[in-house]
Amino acid sequence: MLRRCVISFFLALLTVPGQARTRPHYGGTLRVEIEGDPWQQPNGIARRLLYQGLTRMDENGIAVPALALEWKADSDNRRWQFRLRPGVHFSDGTALTSVNVVASLNASCRETCPWGAVRAAGGAVVFTSDTPMPVLPALLASDPFLIALPNPDPSSDNRLLGTGPYEAAGFANNVLKLAANENCWQGRPFADAIEIRVHRAIRDQWLDLGVGRADIVEVPAEQLRQAQQDHLRVLTSAPVTLLALEAADTGALANPMLRGAISLAIDRGALSNVIYQKQAEVTASLLPAEITGYSFLFATDRDLNKAHQLRGGLTPAQLTLSSPASPTSQLAAQRIALNLREAGFNVQMATGTQRGDLNLRTFALDSGDPQSCLESLLRAAGQAAPVSDSPPAALYKAEHEFLDRKTLIPLLYLRRSYAASGRVRDLQLDPSGTPALADASLEDTP
Amino acid sequence: MSLRQKLLLLLSLTVAAVVVAVSWTVLVRIKRIFDQRDQQDTALVLSQFQREFQHHSAEVSAALERLAASEHVRTMAFEIVQSGDTAPYLTQAQALAPQAQLDFLEIVGPDGNVISSAQWPARFGYPEPAAAQTAQPAFLKREDLPDGSTALGLFAVRAVRGAEPAVNLVGGRRLDQTFLADLPVAPGMQVYLYADAGTATTSATLQPPATSPAFDPRHLVASNGEVLAAGKYQAIISTAIHSGRQTSAILYLTSRREDSVYATAIPLKNDTGAVLAVLTVVLSRAEMVAAQQHIRSISYSVATAGILLSIVMSLWIAARVSRPIEQLARAAGEVAAGNWQTEVPDTGRDELGVLARSFNHMTSELSSQRDRLLQTERVAAWRELARRLAHELKNPLFPLQLTVENLSRARQLPAEEFDEVFRESTHTLTMEIANLKTIIGRFSDFSKMPRPELEHIDARDVIERVRSLYAAGAQNGMRFEVDVAQEPMTLDADPELLHRALSNLVLNAQDAMPAGGVLTLSAKPAGDQVEIRVSDTGPGLTPEECERLFTPYYTTRQHGTGLGLAIVQSVIADHKGKIAVESRAGEGATFIITLPRAHP
Repeated sequence: MLRRCVISFFLALLTVPGQARTRPHYGGTLRVEIEGDPWQQPNGIARRLLYQGLTRMDENGIAVPALALEWKADSDNRRWQFRLRPGVHFSDGTALTSVNVVASLNASCRETCPWGAVRAAGGAVVFTSDTPMPVLPALLASDPFLIALPNPDPSSDNRLLGTGPYEAAGFANNVLKLAANENCWQGRPFADAIEIRVHRAIRDQWLDLGVGRADIVEVPAEQLRQAQQDHLRVLTSAPVTLLALEAADTGALANPMLRGAISLAIDRGALSNVIYQKQAEVTASLLPAEITGYSFLFATDRDLNKAHQLRGGLTPAQLTLSSPASPTSQLAAQRIALNLREAGFNVQMATGTQRGDLNLRTFALDSGDPQSCLESLLRAAGQAAPVSDSPPAALYKAEHEFLDRKTLIPLLYLRRSYAASGRVRDLQLDPSGTPALADASLEDTP
Repeated sequence: MSLRQKLLLLLSLTVAAVVVAVSWTVLVRIKRIFDQRDQQDTALVLSQFQREFQHHSAEVSAALERLAASEHVRTMAFEIVQSGDTAPYLTQAQALAPQAQLDFLEIVGPDGNVISSAQWPARFGYPEPAAAQTAQPAFLKREDLPDGSTALGLFAVRAVRGAEPAVNLVGGRRLDQTFLADLPVAPGMQVYLYADAGTATTSATLQPPATSPAFDPRHLVASNGEVLAAGKYQAIISTAIHSGRQTSAILYLTSRREDSVYATAIPLKNDTGAVLAVLTVVLSRAEMVAAQQHIRSISYSVATAGILLSIVMSLWIAARVSRPIEQLARAAGEVAAGNWQTEVPDTGRDELGVLARSFNHMTSELSSQRDRLLQTERVAAWRELARRLAHELKNPLFPLQLTVENLSRARQLPAEEFDEVFRESTHTLTMEIANLKTIIGRFSDFSKMPRPELEHIDARDVIERVRSLYAAGAQNGMRFEVDVAQEPMTLDADPELLHRALSNLVLNAQDAMPAGGVLTLSAKPAGDQVEIRVSDTGPGLTPEECERLFTPYYTTRQHGTGLGLAIVQSVIADHKGKIAVESRAGEGATFIITLPRAHP
């Protein structure tokens, strides 16, 4: 018996560190390095650490309460009332009120809003519209509609205050410092602070990760294989970004046949397999097959002969193609330009921030709900008309009609990947592919 | 132009011509020397370019050899061959090119398609025809770039060792300003590269243009940047591109001659003979132009000095050569003016001295001959005068003799008869003696011909006076006609003498027409002369008579003294005029007097 007790005691002792290891503890500074801007839209890495929406998408792509505790729709989805969560405060202690929310929404959406009007009604916010707004809760979870309060202190670096788990603490030497928001309604985050080093080259990020100067770094799709070969701890999201080519429907490309020829001339397979190192999915549809099931109906194959036929001997004036600044996007744009030259188009890369006749850009797939996702995409593409019907056939029709104009040519679905050091615990990516830093903790302080 | 002026001009021209000829010869020689130097420099640059080309070729080949033999690349090639997956190596060329110090690098798979391209990463999957030239010497190639431009490069192809089927590396270095900077150039020399001469050959995906692109001055680069007045090189570069041969020309970059250059465009071809670029060697002509200008200024100075020297020389030569000639000329003029006693100084034993002595001998001979001739003529005149006097005096003497003899015989007659004879005889004697006095008076008048007293007169007035004197007395069917110009014909003449001369001619004409006829007196201006004509319609004169007509004491009439026309000629000569006669036998005669018009 004694022997059993002794053995049990020692076993119990052995389990103490294990239990301590599985329990996240507070404190420490999480060091994140990124290549771009932490505030960029959509889904800049710092945005959802500071700002929250009335709703948020859960892991299944369903809108769930966030700053709004509950909501209800009347008049055939033409009037929505969102009741605010009580006891929520901005990082400076200002209480979240319906007036603040309405002011924030009006500031972030000055035109082509999903709603016709928004007003405060006591502890609730009321949205009204002449047309039905069936996907409004999901839309309110998207990046453009995060709630922010202008900072009453004009001398502060932090111009907009949020209700999120962190608040801005300063920016110096390309490092954005975030401090834990002790008053967050969701509770204090684990890490005391987050340092986000911005505009850091991927190669340097990986070096910093290797020598322990960074905890979380980015992994571009084209280097995911390399990261795996280097045995990095990589987290990869589901497809969260649509890479598409915008074609102007005016000027040299006013003829839809030319835009159709461009659509057929692009070799999506080369983009996916080579430039994005097989980490992207080719697509000719806006919505992924995972949420609609009909994506296969949109042909992705390249057909150069048909492209020539559609062009019909027309040689438009020189076209310019602009793209995001990242090297991979630039390379993809160059490849597209090469494909188009092969089809008889004279395409040159646009310089600087100049917007070209063709514009390679990304769209966030920020909802698991096909209707809201499609509406978000269409809004981002400049089409304000809401998607009113939810049946797949109606969605397909709406998407097909839009894509038939050839003003937006879907190319690839992209994932987001990050590599984390071993001292980061419980790190996961949210549905937008952004690291959920507020839920992560550190094993020890550096 | 005087002899001295001719000598001056001749010497000046000779000196100037010599200077011009020497200058031209020197300038041409200098131009040839500079041209030869330019050609030698161009050839030197060309040979240096070829050496640099070979050097760079060797470097490119060596760099590719090292790259193809490296463990990393061999492993990569092995994995490509084994897996067939080329995607992981998309950026390999970009990483390897700087290591190998190459501007261009493409990894080309066994299928001939690009796996990775340093210069155009997006070209993966497209064929690279140049990969077939593996293990060959380096070659020129134009490479397409993503921005739509092209770049000229020196390329080589090497297969990665150990990989089967072969994975090739196509690499090269840019032929640009850096390459030009490596070429040693002489002072005043520039080397330019025009790298847009032909079509791109790297990509089978792009349609090459059907014709050579138009000349773009921006594509002409120098080792130190842009080329000044690049457009001026268009002609020779275009010629070199189209002909495929080296072309040279002198180009004027500005309006100033010293800004001209001697340019040679050398086409650079690929292995198929297509011109891909043009190397242009430019040699400044400023030094040559400066030398030419220097020589030209020296020539001008020498020519000026030569002309001045020629003036001095001509003066000296004139003193030695032209002065005796001028003396001779002056002496000849005096001889021509009648001064036959003129002599020139005997200057020496040279040709001019001989000429002077000959001239003096000639004038001496002429003077002697004139004296003899005058003596002869005087004797002849005296004889003629004696003959005429004898003739003239004989006619009245014979009646005188008869009358005296008759009077002597009459003394034996009765007194009444004697008285009758005496009266007749004395009357006859008186008549004949008066006749003798008349004859003697004419000779006396001729000998006492007065000098003309000149005054401004109008010829029309003299003619009118003659007409009024003789026209009224015309008889025996004679018609007197006057034809005088309307304009004034002013003369510096003695009106009395001129009237007497014209009266003589009119009387002669009347004498020539005893049976009547037309006597015409006309006058008209003839340039700076006044021409007066006296015509008759008489029997005319023979040529012999015309020739002797103005000789004193010559007459065609039985009782004329032969002094009338001599007096007329004397009067006309005293007025610096001339008199001539035109006549044919049976067609009348016309005496033509020309007198100089008076100056206003």
